[in-house]
Amino acid sequence: MSPTGEELYRQREQRFNDIVALKKPDRAPVVPLGVGYFVDLWKGYSYKDAGYNHPQHYEAIRDATIEFGWDLTPMNTLFAADGYEAIGTTQLRWPGGELPDDTGFQFVEGEYMRAEEYDEFLADPNGFTLRKIFPRIATNLAGFEQVPIPPLYFMANTYYLLNVGGPLLGAPPLRKALEALLAMSDAVGGYFAADAATGAELAALGYPRSVAAPIIPPFDMVSDMLRSLRGSTLDMYRHPEKLLGAIDLMEKAQIGLALMLIQLTGNPRVFIPMHRGAGGFMSDEQFEKFYWPSFKRLVLAIIEAGGVPCPLFEGDYTPRLKYLAEFPAGKVAGHFDKVDRLKFKEVLGDKMCFWGNVPLSLMCTGKPQQVKDDVKELIELFSDTGTLMLDSVTGIPDEAKPENVMALREAADEYGVF
Amino acid sequence: MSDKLSSALVEMREDDVLTQVRVAKEAGTPATEVIAALQDAMRTIGDKYETGEYFLSELIFSAEIFKRALAELGLDQAAADTDAKATFVLGTVHTDIHDIGKNIVASVLSANGFKVIDLGVDVPAEKFIAAVKENDARLVGLSCLLTTAFDAMKSTIEAFDNAGLRDMVSIFIGGGPVTAHLAEQLGADGAGISAQEAVNLAQAAIEGRAA
Repeated sequence: MSPTGEELYRQREQRFNDIVALKKPDRAPVVPLGVGYFVDLWKGYSYKDAGYNHPQHYEAIRDATIEFGWDLTPMNTLFAADGYEAIGTTQLRWPGGELPDDTGFQFVEGEYMRAEEYDEFLADPNGFTLRKIFPRIATNLAGFEQVPIPPLYFMANTYYLLNVGGPLLGAPPLRKALEALLAMSDAVGGYFAADAATGAELAALGYPRSVAAPIIPPFDMVSDMLRSLRGSTLDMYRHPEKLLGAIDLMEKAQIGLALMLIQLTGNPRVFIPMHRGAGGFMSDEQFEKFYWPSFKRLVLAIIEAGGVPCPLFEGDYTPRLKYLAEFPAGKVAGHFDKVDRLKFKEVLGDKMCFWGNVPLSLMCTGKPQQVKDDVKELIELFSDTGTLMLDSVTGIPDEAKPENVMALREAADEYGVF
Repeated sequence: MSDKLSSALVEMREDDVLTQVRVAKEAGTPATEVIAALQDAMRTIGDKYETGEYFLSELIFSAEIFKRALAELGLDQAAADTDAKATFVLGTVHTDIHDIGKNIVASVLSANGFKVIDLGVDVPAEKFIAAVKENDARLVGLSCLLTTAFDAMKSTIEAFDNAGLRDMVSIFIGGGPVTAHLAEQLGADGAGISAQEAVNLAQAAIEGRAA
């Protein structure tokens, strides 16, 4: 008798947990961390539809999960384009917005906070976010800058809340901004409803979710989101203490966010996309001062709360492996992009499972047999411990050939039974 | 002066570099001499990057110090460009709007003595061709972050072919997903995955050798 959905769910969940805990599983699972346009292109849908038609996109994820034999349901890496429209974001370009319908969305990195604004941000991060950052990243939120709102604690009493807050919130600039936020909330509500519906369907069929709760490391919160690569690089030299102050604020926020999302989603697997800590961006000395300490505390806080940190080490992390050895063994699910797998085995083989690393170029332009050969090499490398989960470099690439995605499953079945 | 100035830049001592440039200017040292010392330092920094002693952070910061040193001399980039070794037309290809890597390449090329015509992002082929003609440039850099932009790279190179300009320019590709193999496939003259590689490719091209 074939196992029920509930049994399959339990088995897959257990297999994932065993591998993270460095216990040898029965076989190597295929666990795509995330998926974006791939499922839509496979179905023949457009890039534009993928961002607007949420039920259609999520159903495509459901169908792909079943068709390609993924062990866990990947995280959706696309966001709600109707949500972008509601706030008029300037931080993204997307098909259906300024980009052609046949291209994917793109993030616009910029100096949304200038170097001379650090003091203001550090003194009042919430007020600065509301009054300066929101209007810069979203045109429909301009009202928060147009009205010279004093620090909000002036409303810590019914008198001001009623007599100043009341008229202020109803007046055109703030009303428009608040309505934009509500429209955003509605759009994202439809997106998450579609997510919940297919998530429940897949769970009943026996597929747990891969990762949830994206948590961005504190340094990257400053570099990617506020100061840009150039800005944060110059800050390491010119304003190291201010940069560290901002990283410290981000650490508190991200730890709080991680714990909240674990609780709200019920998924302990916390996705942590890693950007500027990869080899090449900065020296070891800079990494030790600016990147590593806050990231390490974030990971330890997630473990402490019963979560499973799932960092996606984008770029080449080979030069940083020695740092990752500081994490407690069997607690972190490290997903790797371009790392030297032999070096990983040598440095971290008995401390952390290995996830990902089947090259993007193979998935997009290679032949199925080449994908299988690469998977075979990985399985042979980890055959002693079995602490391996199969995936490409950052989940399933948008332009992966479907037959190559299928080759991941076939190779797992052919070579990955321990 | 020049050794002290060079080593101040190599060691990323921004204030020291600016003070020395000011002192040199006040002493009547010709600007060309000061720029030569700074470019000498940029070469050393490039070498240190190649050997793994320096990282992207040093490339970005030193190019920034270089820019401030020019300003200290009362010069802008255009003044430095008059003695440029060659003109390099640079842009992120059509359909791609990513500019972080491209901007770093622009500033590192400038600090290494190249005049850079930066066309920005989402640049159509015609704009690359017009800029090459207008500036009599021999070096072209096509940047992308997205694999979907490979088609735009290919058609840009083909447009140079169709315009009868392909043999007159060296076309390089750069960005996260590019490889030497891709350069070969697309018919480019080389691929660079770091700002320093862009300098090396450009330098080799003007010297008529392989990088």
